Amino acid sequence: MSFWEASFLWKEPMFASLVGAGLLGYLGFFVVLRRVAFMSAALSQVSGLGVATAFWVGSFFGVSPHEDSPLWFSPVAYALAFALVGAATFTLPSRSRRVAPESVVALAYLMASALVIVVLSSPRIAQEAHEIGDLLFGNAVVVRREHLVQMCVAAVLVLGLHGAFFKDFLFTSFDPETASALGVPVRALDLALHASLAISVAVCTRALGALPVFAFLVLPAGAALLFSERLKVVLALSIGFALLSASVGYWLSWTWSLPTGPVMVALAASFWVLAGLKRLLEGNP
Amino acid sequence: MSSIASPGAPTMASPEHLIELDDVIIGYRADRPFTPPVRFTVRESDTIAILGPNGAGKSTLLKTILGLVPPLAGRVRYRNDATPKVGYVPQGHRVDLAYPLDALQVVLMGRVPRVGLARGYRASDRAAALEQLEAVGLGSMAHHPFRSLSGGQRQRVLVARALVGEPEVLVLDEPTSAMDPAAEHSLLSLVSDLVTARQVAVLFVTHEISAAAGFSRTVLLLDGAKRSFEAGPTEALVTSEHMSRLYGRPVEVRREHGRALVWLSAHETPTEGAP
Repeated sequence: MSFWEASFLWKEPMFASLVGAGLLGYLGFFVVLRRVAFMSAALSQVSGLGVATAFWVGSFFGVSPHEDSPLWFSPVAYALAFALVGAATFTLPSRSRRVAPESVVALAYLMASALVIVVLSSPRIAQEAHEIGDLLFGNAVVVRREHLVQMCVAAVLVLGLHGAFFKDFLFTSFDPETASALGVPVRALDLALHASLAISVAVCTRALGALPVFAFLVLPAGAALLFSERLKVVLALSIGFALLSASVGYWLSWTWSLPTGPVMVALAASFWVLAGLKRLLEGNP
Repeated sequence: MSSIASPGAPTMASPEHLIELDDVIIGYRADRPFTPPVRFTVRESDTIAILGPNGAGKSTLLKTILGLVPPLAGRVRYRNDATPKVGYVPQGHRVDLAYPLDALQVVLMGRVPRVGLARGYRASDRAAALEQLEAVGLGSMAHHPFRSLSGGQRQRVLVARALVGEPEVLVLDEPTSAMDPAAEHSLLSLVSDLVTARQVAVLFVTHEISAAAGFSRTVLLLDGAKRSFEAGPTEALVTSEHMSRLYGRPVEVRREHGRALVWLSAHETPTEGAP
């Protein structure tokens, strides 16, 4: 069966990949420029821990994650809750001069990563370990319709928020000191921006996996910034690179029977190589 | 207690008094105040320089004046009980050059408090931003990438951004750090020219004694480590005696042809720049 003949199999996962890639490619602009790439990785791990916890909690009540689960056992709800708590924690001002904010993010990343492994090794959810593993290491081959709907809702909410507050997010990201001096509520805007990141990461991780989510947040925007000095061009390129990585990556993985997430990541990374070559040819390495 | 209140005690009833510090102690911890109780007034068209060694609490004093950091004691009062509209110029190196912004987009940010959150810029905001870029001599570079401008040009863009919000108080935090003396003089002259006609009070933090002497009418001398604070007319406080005491080393100040020459010791050649 050719790729196109099998469209009924990949239509929804492909659409989910495109929605997630477009959303994360846009958010990557802020992630890269605010230098919070590690925060997005930590949020991804923390939301993954939320998913694993949902499976573990559900096992006590005989709820299977493969079936429609009530909100209190929904992996996405847990992922969202965990990620939002993480985002709020990372936005809090550091009260200690001895511990850098990056250390708190690293602590969250490491703790979440370790706890996921601990939860995965629990005999209670041994049967679900493979599915949770897909969420953590990337497998966008199969996406359930409900997850696609959740992604679309999250994308509309997040992009709506950014459509309204883009100039404010840009100001507080570019020059928080001046924004604060002018009375702009920097902390509240940071919290809103980080919450939008947390929602996107939590929902997209459930559908695409942690690895592609992290990659879409960092690689396309980083490459786009190497290609252009114009705001609109950088945003367009970042989204475009992410969409290309998702769509071509999905096709390549299908055609050559390769793991989908890692192929998408490799493609997204290739735009960095292109950007590097371009700058080399321009004599500006 | 220090005071620069002019004879005829200042009260907030007088419309030219923008900000009044009333026995204010600044600092972050009650057991480590930066100042004794201080009292002074910022009036319309004042030009006030804040001098002090590193870690003296200059930025904290600025933030306290602007209402961003609460005082440990005393009161900061504003005209009409409303924080004045502020324009702010940060140190050049604090601005992130990774952002793909042009000069006009940077200047427009100064309109955010006027436009409000979750609202787009209007044509009038763009016109005002272009007008300010013209005023700082960069009208033709509105669409140049901000990061590709020279250090002096970037500071001019930041001055334009500070003025585009039509502030009552212009605050400059070491605006000429890392600038050569010619660029520094050019920037401060520009600021002086721009604010003269607008009735804008200027507060600027600087390490350049000559800049304080040349462009301010009032100076605040601050040393948090010694809990010392002095305020008064520039002519009276920017002297060898006061500067040597402030910086803890011999500083010579001489005025010639209306400009201040500053140097560090009797053996050094006078230069316009340091301490």
